[in-house]
Amino acid sequence: MTSVPLVSVFSADDSSKVTAKHIPLPAVFQTPIRPDIVSFVHTNIAKNRRQAHAVNPQAGMQHSAESWGTGRAVARIPRVSGSGTHRSGQAAFGNQCRKGRMSLPIKVWRRWHRRVNIKQKRHAAATAVAATGIVPLVLARGHRISQVPQIPLVVEDKIESYEKTTDALNFLKRFGAFEDVQKVVSTKVVRAGISKQRGKKYRVRKGPLVVYFNENAKLLKAFRNVPGVEVVNVTRLNLLQLAPGGQLGRFVIWTQSAFAHLDKLFGTYRYTSIIKDGYQLLRPLITNPDLARIINSNQVQEKVQPAKTTKVLHEVQKKNPLKNTKAMDRLNPYAKKQRAAAVAAIKANTKGTKKIKKNKALKKASRAAYNKVAASLNDATKAAVQEEQDIKVKYFSVQKGAAQTE
Amino acid sequence: MSQKKPQMQVEQKVPENIVKKTARDTKLREAVAKRRTERLAANKTRRAQWDKNAQAYENEYKAADKSLIDNIRKAKSEGGFYVPAESKLILVVRIRGINTLNPQVRQTLRLLKLRQLHNAAFVRVNKATIEMIRKVEPYVTYGYPSRAVIKNLIYKRGYAKINGQRIPITNNNVIEQQLGKVGIHSIEDLIHEIVTVGPNFKEANRFLWAFKLRGPRGGFIAKRKSFINQGDWGNREDLINDLVKRMI
Repeated sequence: MTSVPLVSVFSADDSSKVTAKHIPLPAVFQTPIRPDIVSFVHTNIAKNRRQAHAVNPQAGMQHSAESWGTGRAVARIPRVSGSGTHRSGQAAFGNQCRKGRMSLPIKVWRRWHRRVNIKQKRHAAATAVAATGIVPLVLARGHRISQVPQIPLVVEDKIESYEKTTDALNFLKRFGAFEDVQKVVSTKVVRAGISKQRGKKYRVRKGPLVVYFNENAKLLKAFRNVPGVEVVNVTRLNLLQLAPGGQLGRFVIWTQSAFAHLDKLFGTYRYTSIIKDGYQLLRPLITNPDLARIINSNQVQEKVQPAKTTKVLHEVQKKNPLKNTKAMDRLNPYAKKQRAAAVAAIKANTKGTKKIKKNKALKKASRAAYNKVAASLNDATKAAVQEEQDIKVKYFSVQKGAAQTE
Repeated sequence: MSQKKPQMQVEQKVPENIVKKTARDTKLREAVAKRRTERLAANKTRRAQWDKNAQAYENEYKAADKSLIDNIRKAKSEGGFYVPAESKLILVVRIRGINTLNPQVRQTLRLLKLRQLHNAAFVRVNKATIEMIRKVEPYVTYGYPSRAVIKNLIYKRGYAKINGQRIPITNNNVIEQQLGKVGIHSIEDLIHEIVTVGPNFKEANRFLWAFKLRGPRGGFIAKRKSFINQGDWGNREDLINDLVKRMI
């Protein structure tokens, strides 16, 4: 990237007027977007606001219960001592028991907070700031920014002196940020669950984040009562606000001095940060992200081997050539001729018989010939049968009613 | 006379990588098309050759049949006998399963490519192979296959051994790739080589995977007995064809 991206600073009173035309984007906005770092840091930092809680250490244990031991046809769990009430003899103490203590009761000395390496926290913050300057990310997070003139939205320092909420509201309306506030208002719902009885009645979305610089700015009070809007000093940028829920792309409204301070805060790619002592912004892993250009470049294409063709040697399914004519012809082109020859041969034969059928004289002659043969056969078989019978009579003398004579 | 209004020149700048890619793609496409036309032309000549070869073989077979019949008739007319040459080719079919086999028998069956029940394989007849078959006789049945049976086996159950894989012979490229260098280019060439046990029978037979047949429709008689003793194992000469026709 040889050209430096530029940003305009808008006038607080008129969104069409630009007070400073082309200000270079601070180097933070060029940081590679690392959602993995952000989500890791966020999950750990989000635990740091937790307050210790615990279960009453005596809960479920305020009995003098003792096991009855074996031999009494009951389970060996400790049982409540005494008599005169249903409770006596009932199981106690175990986590499985009714009215027993829970397993592994929560202690206050549970490790509630997590420490994260400073460098990781700084990288996460830098990435989160960079993401606020990327329109698709801000849109994806769910902010209504279609009417906002520029992302990142930088406004002159005049808004830092707003004292009235009406001024704040009008300012937001002028810059198309009111749609985001309206979203917050319309999607405020009563929270599901017990928390509503513990002071968290409503679930409210996040709206714009206003970032200022001068410490004696009064805009906090002006913007405080606008639903969804948060106000924060640029020296105290919070990942939990820049990437709520670990999700990159908060809609941020910067004041001019806050925007200018970012270079000092995070440093640039030429100089490490002064305020974050020695911190160097994350460098991208790949400097030229135009992969299509790299792949199609001469240097790569010269070395590249030709694409492998999937050469299929045989058909996927074997068909039986003895039954499938296409498969047969594929293997043996002569088979077609053989089949044709066979069909022709049959036809030639039937031609002869058809001829006979049509010609009655021929028919008669052929029938006569057949009868002659049949008759001669008949004579032959008659003679054979007679001969057999003679033999039977001669040697076995089997006749009806005749006694066997010897 | 109308004056031509000066039009705004809109430069159509195409990104460099797209220009390069289209040039490369057209070149590749042309190469593929050229290869295709060449291949189709080559295929045409190849198919004509297969046709010619198949026809020549058919004439050869007819001539062989005719000469056999003529010899028999001639011998009969002279009052003698015509004894045709002993078959040079044997078809061996394994009848026994894999359990409780003598290790030497097991090894010999493997050498004959008969690793599985109802596997069939062609074997050339010579002293060495006769001895091998004798060793495994009670576990196989064998005989002299007819041309029709050989043809049906190769067409219906013909698989090739290519790179140790069992590849179906669905087209002649399968055969050409492996056996082209010994002059067998089509399936009819292969069948002819097997039938006549030609000079490249070794390559042709090695090319073929063992035929995996089904059990015979109608069953065996008695696998425990030799064929001579009204059983199944051993040499059954020409009657192997009836059995294999039921197994194919």
